[in-house]
Amino acid sequence: MPSRRPAAIVFAAGLAVVAAGTAGLLLTRHPTPVLRPVAAGVAALPAPTGPIVAVPQSAAPGPVASPVSLTIPLIGVKTKLITLGLAAGGALQVPSSTSVAGWYTGSPRPGAIGSAVIVGHIDSLTGPGVFYRLSELRRGDDVYIARADGTTAEFRVTSVQTYLKDRFPTQAVYGPTPDAELRLITCGGVFDPATGHYLSNIVVYATEVS
Amino acid sequence: MRFPRITRATRRVAMLLAASALLLGIPAAVASASSATTGTGWIRLAHLSPNTPPVDVYLYSFGNSTAQIVLHHVAYGTVSPYEEVNAGDYSVAMRSAGASPSSQPVLSTSVTVEAGHAYTVAGMGPESGLRLQVLDDSLTTPAGKSLVRVIQASLKQPSVKFHCSCAPGAAGDIVTKASFASVSPYATIPPGTWTMSATGPSASTSLPVTLTAGTVHTEVVLDGANGLEIVNLIDAAGAGQPPAGGVTTGFGGTAGHGPGSPLPWVAVIGAGALITLTGGLQLGRRRLRRQPDTGI
Repeated sequence: MPSRRPAAIVFAAGLAVVAAGTAGLLLTRHPTPVLRPVAAGVAALPAPTGPIVAVPQSAAPGPVASPVSLTIPLIGVKTKLITLGLAAGGALQVPSSTSVAGWYTGSPRPGAIGSAVIVGHIDSLTGPGVFYRLSELRRGDDVYIARADGTTAEFRVTSVQTYLKDRFPTQAVYGPTPDAELRLITCGGVFDPATGHYLSNIVVYATEVS
Repeated sequence: MRFPRITRATRRVAMLLAASALLLGIPAAVASASSATTGTGWIRLAHLSPNTPPVDVYLYSFGNSTAQIVLHHVAYGTVSPYEEVNAGDYSVAMRSAGASPSSQPVLSTSVTVEAGHAYTVAGMGPESGLRLQVLDDSLTTPAGKSLVRVIQASLKQPSVKFHCSCAPGAAGDIVTKASFASVSPYATIPPGTWTMSATGPSASTSLPVTLTAGTVHTEVVLDGANGLEIVNLIDAAGAGQPPAGGVTTGFGGTAGHGPGSPLPWVAVIGAGALITLTGGLQLGRRRLRRQPDTGI
């Protein structure tokens, strides 16, 4: 019956369009995943050589030299450390470059009693930043800080936490500690395209190896 | 071995004391939230008994007969650095320096380490009345301030006045008549470099101490070779001016993107449905029109 053929074609084409639309809808319901390299499980960088010195925390602690660079072999971080202060409004300054990390000069020097605070970017507008892989660190991983006097302080990760920025635990991160500790901070969690900011901070807690 | 029995007894006493402290509403030292996340706390060990010879100090995880930490030949005036330990019950034992680890301890006590808390376990008092005292060490300070407390460990000067040349309005005398083997509460002191002085009936001494905001100090008054001595201990340090809130350290270049709007696909499905409907209607209409021709 040739006269019925156009109507049948239209009917079939309509069904095809519905099927295509449904498939398209279902396939695009998942967010595109965050780009994350697979952790190789082996150090991406060798541990630094040179004297590793834990400054004795005696009754009269000697002066601790200022930090100059940071190495995290497992995630391939090797960066010089710039100095950071507080921005207007009291928030922590961040490095203007996304490829270097910075030490907050209002916190103790790494290796002195207290929690030394180091901050770096997870990414730039176009690609990974210095702390892109920070969230891959786990308890027991090593972190090294080289100091201006040529000595190196070795820290070991004790915990890795993700906090919503509007519930940032100031006391836990910046509060006093009785031993020499380190805090490595970057962004993480969900990226909000409306504000251009991540909603969370990743904080790595580490303690000096004595 | 009788040592565990002693420890159990002391533990009961300690728990009783802790319970009564709770009942009386004595505030415990404030915890550091950071280590609360890892379930660890800190202990340091001290020898503050002037006429007691050097000792070996053992720290046992409760119920474990192998010491977790041993400090050898700890002499009067020595305070160890803090050791990070898992939260839980511990016992601290003192033996004469060089004594066998399996020998009966001179004395022992128990200490319960809470996550995020720090403790000083100090041998205090005269040798004849030596006791191990467990002190809760503060890990927080009022904003922009420093905390200072005094341990009076001089036997030769039984009563000591401890003064801080602090800013006007701040605590001057941290403690006025500190008796031997006493521990003062923490006093709040503004940051700065101050002269701390200890004055006893027949001796006195002073020491410049720099206090930065956010640090906690213990000043220990000791019998020195010549009169009194002050030892300045840093109990804890943090950022003097903690930054406000989190940090802004990402621009989203590696962020995933959420699902796009479903509306275009819904429109496609709608259009397909319309086309299907049009085709279907046409088919139905033709079938109706052809019905007479079939002769039914």
